[in-house]
Amino acid sequence: MSDTGSILKIDNLNVHYGDFQALYDVSMEIKKGRVTSIIGSNGSGKTTLLNTVMGINKPTSGSITLNDKDISGMRTSKIVADGVTMSPEGSSIFEDMTIKENLLMGAYLPHARKRKTELVEKAFSLFPDLREKSGQLASLLSGGQRQMLSIAKAIVTDPQVIICDEISLGLAPVIIKDIYKKIKEINAAGMTVLLVEQEVKRSLKHSDYSYIMVKGRVVMEGVSGELPEEEVSSAYFGINKYA
Amino acid sequence: MKFNKPIKVAISVLILIVLLLMPKWGSDRFINIFILIFLYMSMGQMWNLLAGYAGLVSLGQQMFIGIGGYTVAVVCQSYNLPLWVGLIVAPFVCTLCALIISLPIFKMSGDFFTIGSWIVAEAMLLFFTNWSFVKYGFGFTISAGRVLTLTHRYIMALILGIGSVLVVYIALRTKFGLGIMAMRDNEGVSKVRGVKIYRTKLNCFLISAFITGLAGGAMHLFDGYIQPYAAFSIDWTVTMVFMVIIGGIGTIEGPILGAFIYVFLRQYLLNFPGVSMLIFGAIALIIILLAPKGIVGLLQDRTGFELFSVRRSIKAPKLPDKPESASQNT
Amino acid sequence: MYIIIQSVITGILLGGLYAVIGVGMSLVFGIMRLTNIAHGDLMILASYFTMLFAMEIVGNVFLALLITIVLMLILSFLIQTFLVNRVIDKGPEPSLLVMFGVSIIIRNALILIFGANNRTIPNPLSTTNILNSPNISISGGYLVNFIVGVAVVLVLMFIIQKTYFGMSIRATASNRMGAELLGVNTKRIFAYTLCLAVATASIAGLLIGQTFVFYPSTGPQYLITAFGVVVIGGMGSLGGTLVGGILLGLVQLLSAHFFGTGWQTIAGYVFMLVILTIRPQGIFAKARR
Repeated sequence: MSDTGSILKIDNLNVHYGDFQALYDVSMEIKKGRVTSIIGSNGSGKTTLLNTVMGINKPTSGSITLNDKDISGMRTSKIVADGVTMSPEGSSIFEDMTIKENLLMGAYLPHARKRKTELVEKAFSLFPDLREKSGQLASLLSGGQRQMLSIAKAIVTDPQVIICDEISLGLAPVIIKDIYKKIKEINAAGMTVLLVEQEVKRSLKHSDYSYIMVKGRVVMEGVSGELPEEEVSSAYFGINKYA
Repeated sequence: MKFNKPIKVAISVLILIVLLLMPKWGSDRFINIFILIFLYMSMGQMWNLLAGYAGLVSLGQQMFIGIGGYTVAVVCQSYNLPLWVGLIVAPFVCTLCALIISLPIFKMSGDFFTIGSWIVAEAMLLFFTNWSFVKYGFGFTISAGRVLTLTHRYIMALILGIGSVLVVYIALRTKFGLGIMAMRDNEGVSKVRGVKIYRTKLNCFLISAFITGLAGGAMHLFDGYIQPYAAFSIDWTVTMVFMVIIGGIGTIEGPILGAFIYVFLRQYLLNFPGVSMLIFGAIALIIILLAPKGIVGLLQDRTGFELFSVRRSIKAPKLPDKPESASQNT
Repeated sequence: MYIIIQSVITGILLGGLYAVIGVGMSLVFGIMRLTNIAHGDLMILASYFTMLFAMEIVGNVFLALLITIVLMLILSFLIQTFLVNRVIDKGPEPSLLVMFGVSIIIRNALILIFGANNRTIPNPLSTTNILNSPNISISGGYLVNFIVGVAVVLVLMFIIQKTYFGMSIRATASNRMGAELLGVNTKRIFAYTLCLAVATASIAGLLIGQTFVFYPSTGPQYLITAFGVVVIGGMGSLGGTLVGGILLGLVQLLSAHFFGTGWQTIAGYVFMLVILTIRPQGIFAKARR
C-alpha cells in the first residue's frame, strides 16, 4: 500500500452531539486508487464519521484533509466540489424526477456540467438497468435499483473519492453481489472508494484496507487480506476484548 | 439568583401592593403608561399562550380586539346599557366567535393555521365595514367610558394584566397545563399519553379570545371611539408578536417584559411619527435572528449556562469512563 | 343573463391576474415549504417602484418594470441570504416570523416614504374596451392582465420543468441532502427560488398598479389573494395557480353580481376558508409535479 499516496486523511477527529461524544480521536488514511472499508455495527460512529467528512456534522477537534487541503467544517456542497461525494445510507435520490434527470443532476458542478452527456453515458454503461428505465420516475424503482441510481448519481459528479454508506442494507444477496461488482469496476476505472459496511466478511473481501470501529473509536486496522476474520468479528461484536 | 418560595411570595405581594397603591403616588402620565402596559401585557400573554405554548402561531388576534371593542360599543352605545354589561358581554361574545371560527381553522395546521387566522380577521374587518348595524367604516363614539376616573381605568387594567399572567400561570401549573407543555414538546408522544391535543389547543384559543376580547373592549372603552380599520388592524397582532418575541417566547416573564419595553419605546417613538412600526418590525426581526428566545431566554441561557458548566465539571471525568474501561480490558 | 355572462368573462380575466399574484407564493411553498408571508408586501413594493420609475424617472412602463425587477431580485436575494437562510433549518415558525418582520418593515417604510394615499399606475388600456357590444364588454386592461398572467405561469413552468436550472430547483425540493451531496449549494438555490418568485411578484405589482388603486397597506390583501389562489389550485402546483386564480375570480365576480360589490372580497375569503377546511391540499391536488 505504500506505493500510492493518501488522498483523504482524517487526523484525531473528535465529534460531539451536545454532551455526548460520538467519535474519539479517529485517524484514518484513505489511499489513492484503493478500496478502503470501514466496518462497524450500529452506533459504532461510522455514519457520524462520514457525515463529518461530508460537512454535515461539524467536528469538535481534529482535521480532515483532502489532497493536503483542510476540508473539515466546510459546507457539504463545497466539499463535493473539491472531489469527495457520498452515496448515503437510505435514499438520496430525487423521487419525483426521472432517472435521466437524477443522473443529469449529478453533473451540477461546472467541471462536470461541461461533460454531462459523456458522464451520464458512462453511468448508464455501468448500470445498463438504469438506461432501460431512463425516462421513468425514480420513485418507481426497486430497492436495488435505487441504490444503483444513488451510486450512479455520485459517479456522475466525477469525484476523486466516492463514499458508499451501507450499500447492501436491506437488499437481496444477488443484488448485493451485483452492486459490489460495480464498485470493483468503478475502482478499476481509477476512483478511490470508501466502503462502509456492517458485514465483516463482505467488507474484507471487497476492500484493500480496512478499519474496524467500535463505540466511536478505531480499534483495529490493516490490509484487508491479512486481517484475521475471526479477530475482526470478535472486535466487531465486542466479544471480550473491546467491550 | 435563586429565591426560595417564601421570599418569592413576599416579593410578589410587595410588588402587588406597590402596584395597587400607585394611584396614590403616581403622576397621571405615569398611571396612563401603566394602564397601557397592563392592557398590552394581557394581549401579549394571550398571544404567547397560543404561539409559545400551544404551537398556534395566530395572526388573527386583532379580530378579538375588534369584536370585543364593537361588543362594548354596541351594548353601551346602541342599547344604552351600563358599561359593565358591555365589559361582561364582550369576552363571551369573543369566546363564542372563537368557538365558531375554530371549526374551520382548527382543521388547518402550522402555516395554514397562521394564514387562515389572518384571513378570518381580514374577512371580519370587511364584514364590519359592510355592516350597516355598526355604521360601516365610520365607527362609533363610545361615551360610556367617560364616567371612568383614571383610578378606575388603572384598576381595571391592573386586574386584566395580573389576571392574564395568573391565567397563564395556572394553565401551566395544573393538569390542563401539563398537557400544554407536553403538547408543545412532542405532539406524537403526548398523543400516546392520551392528552387530548385538540381540546387543549381549543381551550387555549378560547381563553386567548376571552382575555384579548376583554382587553380590546377596555381599550376602546377608554379611547371612547371605535372604527373597523383600526380595531381590526393587523398592527395589534404585530404588537403582540413584538412583545412576545422581544421578551421571550414560551415564557411567562417574556410578555411582561415585552409590554414594558413596547410601551416605553412607543412613548419615546411618539417623537418620530411614522417610524415606530418600522422600528418595532426591525427590532423583532433582529431578535428572531440573533436571540430567538428573547431577552428572558438570553438571561435563562446565562444562568442555564452556569448550571450547565457545573453539570459538566461533575460529569467531565466520567465521560471517557466507558471507553477507557474498554481499552483497559484489552 | 348577459350580466352573468359579463361577470363570468370578467371573473376569468381577473383570474389570470390572480394567477400571477399567486404563482410566486406557490413556487416558494413548493420548493422551500415556506409560506412567504411577505409576498403581498413585496408585490406592492414593486408597484411603488414601477410607479416611481415609470412616472418620475424613465417614463416608460416596460423599462420601469425591468429596473424594478432587477431591484427586487437584489432585494430578495439579500432577504433570503441574510435573513431566511439563517433560520430556515430551525423549523417553519422562525422563517414565518422573519418574513412577517420583513412584511411589516416594507409596509411601514412605504407609508413613511410615499404616505398612505391611494396610487395608480396609468394604463391607457384600462379605459379601452376591446369588445364593446351593447351587452358585453371586455376591458383591454383585463385582457392584457389575463394574457400576461397565463404567459408568466407558462414561462415559469417551462423554467422549472425544462431547464437545467429548474431541474436543480426541483432536485433541491425533492431531496435537499441528496442535492447538497451532488455539490448543489441548496441555500443558494433557495435564494434563486425566492428571486424567481419575486420576479413574478414584480410583474404582478405592475398589473395590480395598473388595474386597481394601491396603498402601502394593501399588501396583506394580495397576500391573502395569493394564498387563496395557491390553496384552491393546490399548494406547490404551478399550473394549479391558473385554475385557482380563475376559480377565485369567478367566485368573486359572481358573488358581487348576486350579493353586491361590497361582498366580493369577503365571498372570496369565505371560499378560501371553505376549501382550506374541506380540502386543505387543494381542489385539484394530485401527486406533485
